[in-house]
Amino acid sequence: MRCSIRGYGIAEVTAATATIGYKVPQRRHPVLQFIVQQPLGAAGLIVIVLMGVCAIFAPWVAPYDPLTVDYASMLAAPSSEHWLGTDSFGRDVLSRIIYGARTALAIGFLASFLGSTIGAVIGVISAYFGGKVDLVIQRIMDVLLSFPIIVLAITVVAVLGKNIVLGVDVNLVVAIGLPMIPKVARVVRSSALAIRELPYIDAARTAGFSDSRIIFRHMVPNVVAPYLIMLTAFVAQAILAEASLSFLGLGVTEPTASWGLMLSGAAADFYQQAPWMIVFPGIAISLAVFAFNLFGDSLRDWLDPKIKL
Amino acid sequence: MLRYILQRLLLMIPTLVGVAILVFFLLRLAPGDPVQMMMDGANVSREVIDAERARLGLDRPIYVQFLTWFGALLKGDFGVSIWTGRPVLYEIGIRLELSLQVAIMATILAVLIAIPLGTLSAIYKDTWIDHLVRVFSIAGLAVPSFWLGMIIILTLLTYFSWIPPLTFTPFFEDPWKNLSQLIWPAIAVGYRYSAVAMRMMRSSVLEVLQEDYVRTARAKGVHERLVVARHAMRNALLPVVTVVGLEFAFLIGGLVVTEQVFNLNGIGKLFVQAVARGDYTMIQGLVLLVAVFFVLINFAIDMLYALLDPRIRYR
Repeated sequence: MRCSIRGYGIAEVTAATATIGYKVPQRRHPVLQFIVQQPLGAAGLIVIVLMGVCAIFAPWVAPYDPLTVDYASMLAAPSSEHWLGTDSFGRDVLSRIIYGARTALAIGFLASFLGSTIGAVIGVISAYFGGKVDLVIQRIMDVLLSFPIIVLAITVVAVLGKNIVLGVDVNLVVAIGLPMIPKVARVVRSSALAIRELPYIDAARTAGFSDSRIIFRHMVPNVVAPYLIMLTAFVAQAILAEASLSFLGLGVTEPTASWGLMLSGAAADFYQQAPWMIVFPGIAISLAVFAFNLFGDSLRDWLDPKIKL
Repeated sequence: MLRYILQRLLLMIPTLVGVAILVFFLLRLAPGDPVQMMMDGANVSREVIDAERARLGLDRPIYVQFLTWFGALLKGDFGVSIWTGRPVLYEIGIRLELSLQVAIMATILAVLIAIPLGTLSAIYKDTWIDHLVRVFSIAGLAVPSFWLGMIIILTLLTYFSWIPPLTFTPFFEDPWKNLSQLIWPAIAVGYRYSAVAMRMMRSSVLEVLQEDYVRTARAKGVHERLVVARHAMRNALLPVVTVVGLEFAFLIGGLVVTEQVFNLNGIGKLFVQAVARGDYTMIQGLVLLVAVFFVLINFAIDMLYALLDPRIRYR
């Protein structure tokens, strides 16, 4: 419906307009289209963009340095000086939340990108070759699917340890991304199975193209919709996983600012004295996950409502 | 039907063997040495460490280690915890009751919330009731259960100056004391769970309401309440059963984090401790147990489906 006039020249369409007297709606930019058709998703997108801006420009946005220890203002209640109060080291909670957005978004995007991309490639390969290859891949995916995300992630973290490159723990990204692979592979495989039967794939085969060319040039671009949908949905999952792991002391470690880490350790010792240490980081996690879920859901409705996550 | 059951049972075997292989070799890739970790700080000589390694069988080639472990596994022997020296199954057994009870309570809570609210949301689609229920359920997916647990404790502490008891009392000893401890973690993990089921119930009822037999029932003049209760809800429950079943297995995963918040000595806490201590045999046992549990539940759901919908058996 959305692109019913695609394929006609603009001139033809305008000519028809003149005679019938029907005003052809102007084709708007896809982003604008999305905002008009999916207002909730657009709201989610706005929150995501705001968070991204805060994360990137954290040194300019944050009122304090997130690592500066100031025992004079330890456990200070929210005030005009410290909007969201301070923690047990006198560090500004708002600044730590803003810097925490960096950690959450960086790990969330990287893990989701890694998991979805590998999953999509595996799904397409599985669907394209079919037969024994498909059977073996599906069995391996079944094995990976029988672990809860957090259990598999914790196990991988335990095995790999830490490996920090450019301020991001690569092993943590792998641990969170790995459990996503089978889920993405399953959804992408079913989309790719339908595509495999289309005439242009036969045409490509007849033309003598190699398997890898058909997979990467003809099939992969056509599973972009499910890929993008899964990618957004899993950013939310990855942010939750990072928070959980950091909370358990298995993810990001002090003094790096991370929302999950802010909730662990000292926060639990000061329930009554400093509830702001618990309340605000949790709101940050919830808001981020909420925004990505909202955006992901709308993106699915907009691109391909039939996909089940 | 018998053929179908057998076929499904046979299909479980490669998955479970795969899980065992994956778990075993994944952990053996770890750079740390458990014996060294255990003796950390205690100034022991190389010989003592080697003797301990030999005692645990860690000095043999890896494939021999695997075959020994796997062989024992088939006899139901999960090995001995490297850290405590007691059998893995014993350690799990004494903690399972607590975790299982929280999981079951969370499930009951989730179903009790999800089915009526999901149905209401579908019947009153696009009204304020629907919007309210949907916001409630989307929020449920966003709020981390461990944080919800902390907020629950904070609320109890601030407004009632009370915290749940810290020691576990079995349900049949003192049901009141037992519930006053475990209802809170059940709410914390149950909220997310109910949100998932609620969304499924809503979309499922919406789909069923489009069916011909619902239109027929309405045309016959059946009371709308009966149409919803007998025709729509009953048929809409099938996909919800699947989601509830699948999520139950994953609930154990959610408990890993939430048990820390409430300081519960369940299998989740055991898992985190085992990881922190590099207790290989314990991690293997726990991960395997969760996976077996998941595969069995999957099997049960398939059977239930086949029982409720004869078309599936003949596929």
